[in-house]
Amino acid sequence: MNLIDLPMNVPWLSLVWLSLVIPTLIIALLKPEQKREIRIVGAVFSFISLALTLLVYLAYDYRSPQQFQFLEEVPWLPELGINYILGVDGVSLPMLLLNGLVIFTGALISWNIEERAREYWALLLLLAAGVYGVFVSLDLFLLFIFYELAVLPMYLLIGIWGSTRKEYGAMKLTLYLMGGSAFIILGLVAVYYSGTLRTFDMRLLAQSALFSRDVQIIFFVPLFLGFAVLAGMFPFHTWSPTGHVAAPTAVSMLHAGVLMKLGSYGCLRVAMWIFPEGANYWLLPIAIAALINAVYGASIAMTQRDFKFMIGYSSVSHMGLTLMGLAAANIIGITGAVLQMFAHGVMTALFFAVVGRMVYDRTHTRQFPELGGLFNVIPFAAIVFIIAGLSSMGMPGLAGFWAEFNIFMGMWQRFPLIAVLAGISIPITAGYILLAVYRVFFGELKNPEFRRLPGLTTPEYVAGAILAAVLIVSGIYPAYLTEPIEASVRPIAEALARAGALGMVGR
Amino acid sequence: MSFQITDIPRILLELMLLLLGLLVLGSDILTRWGRGAQAQAERAREAGQLTAVGLGLVFIVGLVQSRFLFTVPDPTGGPLDILLTLGRNLQAGGPGGSPVLGAFATDEFTMVARLTFIGAALLTSLLAMGYRLTANPGEFYSLLIFSTLGMSIMAAATEFILAYLALELSSISLYVLAGYFRESERSPEAGLKYFLFGSLSSAIFLYGISLTYGFVASENQKAGGTPIIATLFSEVGRFATGDAARSPLLILGMLFVIAGLGYKISVVPFHTWAPDVYQGAPPPVTAFLSTASKAAGFLLLYRLLTTAFPGAVGAPRLEEFSGWTSVLAILALVTLLVGNLAALPQTNARRLLAYSSIGHAGFLLLAMLLWSSTSPVDRTFGTAALIYYLIVYTLANLGSFGVLAVLTKALGGDDLNAMQGLWQRNMLLTLMMTILILSLAGIPPLAGFWAKFFVFMAGYQAGAVPLVTVAVVMTVVSLYYYLRFLKAMWILPAPSTSPISTPPVANAAIIVSTVLVALLGLLPNLIWGTISSAASVAAR
Repeated sequence: MNLIDLPMNVPWLSLVWLSLVIPTLIIALLKPEQKREIRIVGAVFSFISLALTLLVYLAYDYRSPQQFQFLEEVPWLPELGINYILGVDGVSLPMLLLNGLVIFTGALISWNIEERAREYWALLLLLAAGVYGVFVSLDLFLLFIFYELAVLPMYLLIGIWGSTRKEYGAMKLTLYLMGGSAFIILGLVAVYYSGTLRTFDMRLLAQSALFSRDVQIIFFVPLFLGFAVLAGMFPFHTWSPTGHVAAPTAVSMLHAGVLMKLGSYGCLRVAMWIFPEGANYWLLPIAIAALINAVYGASIAMTQRDFKFMIGYSSVSHMGLTLMGLAAANIIGITGAVLQMFAHGVMTALFFAVVGRMVYDRTHTRQFPELGGLFNVIPFAAIVFIIAGLSSMGMPGLAGFWAEFNIFMGMWQRFPLIAVLAGISIPITAGYILLAVYRVFFGELKNPEFRRLPGLTTPEYVAGAILAAVLIVSGIYPAYLTEPIEASVRPIAEALARAGALGMVGR
Repeated sequence: MSFQITDIPRILLELMLLLLGLLVLGSDILTRWGRGAQAQAERAREAGQLTAVGLGLVFIVGLVQSRFLFTVPDPTGGPLDILLTLGRNLQAGGPGGSPVLGAFATDEFTMVARLTFIGAALLTSLLAMGYRLTANPGEFYSLLIFSTLGMSIMAAATEFILAYLALELSSISLYVLAGYFRESERSPEAGLKYFLFGSLSSAIFLYGISLTYGFVASENQKAGGTPIIATLFSEVGRFATGDAARSPLLILGMLFVIAGLGYKISVVPFHTWAPDVYQGAPPPVTAFLSTASKAAGFLLLYRLLTTAFPGAVGAPRLEEFSGWTSVLAILALVTLLVGNLAALPQTNARRLLAYSSIGHAGFLLLAMLLWSSTSPVDRTFGTAALIYYLIVYTLANLGSFGVLAVLTKALGGDDLNAMQGLWQRNMLLTLMMTILILSLAGIPPLAGFWAKFFVFMAGYQAGAVPLVTVAVVMTVVSLYYYLRFLKAMWILPAPSTSPISTPPVANAAIIVSTVLVALLGLLPNLIWGTISSAASVAAR
């Protein structure tokens, strides 16, 4: 079912990622002093990209038997089976929309960047263009190129505009992620040579008959791990809180909101889709790592004194739930995982917007003991933070609820014990969120200076309102997300189930 | 087999290089020059201009002759007939045919190599002009050209004596160039060190050749023939098959040949000269030394091993000796480890890049391992990966050493600290250096990424999975030190904000290499087809 029809002779998906490359070039041509023009170009084009993703979303027909739509195919290095193939399905569409939302709100939140604004905006938009590229690529090689394009600008963004041990955080993050992509490269080469087809077209690679069981079991590991590093899987998660804290606000939003989803998206789309038998073999270790992520991440978040570190660890915890949904390897679990990627992306972007921009840029401290009573000063920030927090706890009526509900249902069917143990993370999450709300926004005003803080600006209001609205709408009417997701997850889950049955016979 | 008059167009490029070298030298000697600084600068500029224009001309002739871009149509009776006839005659001497005198192959492989070396020499001459060296400019530029000539012959040689002479021609010119700054502290040291290592390696190479001769002679005698001295690669290859390929004499000869060339391509453990020489030599010479010279070494090594020792190819396994691929696999392993790990603590930018280029030699060796496969498709792919990597590496390294040359001239030093805050002082240079460094690091969508990916594929297909794993891990290690360049240029505060200007000629050279690195990354198919055809000739 699709709501609108788009002319099919337009390369919509190329436009989506190019809509953020074009402003990068325009900005590069502007003078460094033209900060206002630079901001306007950045914001306008990120809005255009959001509008384009929305159009594509509405025009996608999830009832059609054709899973991938808006296909574009251009030969690139056909001698080696490397082509420029774009297409979207119900899994990549919510991610595309998420990236549009986060880059647009991130652009609004970046309005107060004064230092080296030109380079900042160029890198920020380039980063988001790379993210779009990953979500629309159907060629594994192309996907990897976009993936690295999305990771590298991070180094400079954190290194130049960051705070709190920024150079260390930037280097650590980049090396971890590039270490992950080293694994992926190994996986790519193996995928290319182990199958009977010499191609990187994922639609062809996903025909599981191509790879023997041994190949799948061995090379699932580097492919999955490589992406799981970016998803923040235990024990490769330590870059994430350090990096998030060091990064400037909009970069934290993009990073925790979207970039980590590249990791879980890659785990699903690349590793699990191409190697279903390999995935089945490793489900239990993944589920255990995800369990540790969820519970341990939440517990560490509970003990943080730094507001931003708390959010950073909450991301680790929630990404654990995403991975757990993937490890369930059934329709409901994976649907929950994709939904969680979307819900967590929006809410964590909102968290970082509140923490980094609305609070820290005003108070210049993120330590809980020094904050307090800010509800009276910036009430809007408190309200949107509470909305995001409730979603994060899994409160019915908000996006997070549906995601977590599905994930736990899925896990219950696969490994009931892990589902029960992971349940511990829910009260802990509620605990640290409520504690943070209390310590930052309620209670007495610790610092009388805070009474004279400047109020929120229009871009902040708009960004906060958009993100909060998306959380509420997705909570009330989740079907606009779940139906396309479910339709596209079905073939992947079925392949996994078949592979599981095969594995049983093999034993 | 005798020299035909029709062979002249086939070695036209080498003849042109020879003539150009003599012309540059002669014009410098025959002109009357004043002694003042002004006259010196003018003299240097004229020698440089003559070299650059001449090399550009040779490059264009080579490009036309190669038929890589277009084939000249038959004359049609129009006014352009003279040009068309000229073009056709030129292309008639293009790639193809059996080697001249059996010793000088004029195939696509040679053509690609020649174009690479001549292009690199052209860019180097531009960098040297920007560097404004004033002492004996005629000698400087003519040595550069003679060295290029030697490299072209190295890539074409299919005979031991010619290979040795070419190696010496290119090396001896470079020894002099490396020690060219007589007044500086490090340059004469670099020249001497390079010379000592080089001449020792030549001796080893020669010894390897003589053992190989001995092998052929004794094999021939066993077969009942008279002992002959075989100097063609292919003749050695004819005898070195089956059981004879495991003869200790041949294996020893092969090991000495690899060791002798190992210095030219600076693989561990024959690399120790490289950091000192790269740091000490005049910056434009370093740019040339680290790229074209290394590429020539690799191409000669490739042709030599695959034609003279195809019977002793073995398998690239690390745990047992089975042929030259296992030797190369071990060399690749230590080169990757030492080159990349030793680069980590460096503080001097040129020394850092010297170690990084040792690391790159390790990646390049991976591509050669695929020769152990018997499938022609695989062999072609491995060769193509090698050539592609060499071209891309040449461009990126030449460009980044070019940037360092500009900075050395402007700032008087090339420590990483000196580059701090470069974005404030010269944005264009910073951007270009960033692109070049990221290409060296293998970040997509730049050409360096494809190059690394291709050699990983070659290594994997050759069955050297543990080695490829090490190589992949080493790319992450290398990223750490490449990021230090970015950190210095973009993040750390500048010691001064006074702008740095780039000499226009040097800028042109750096822009060309940067644009090509980016372009070949976005559209690798631009040269992949040509390279594949060159590779299929070489891989047969």
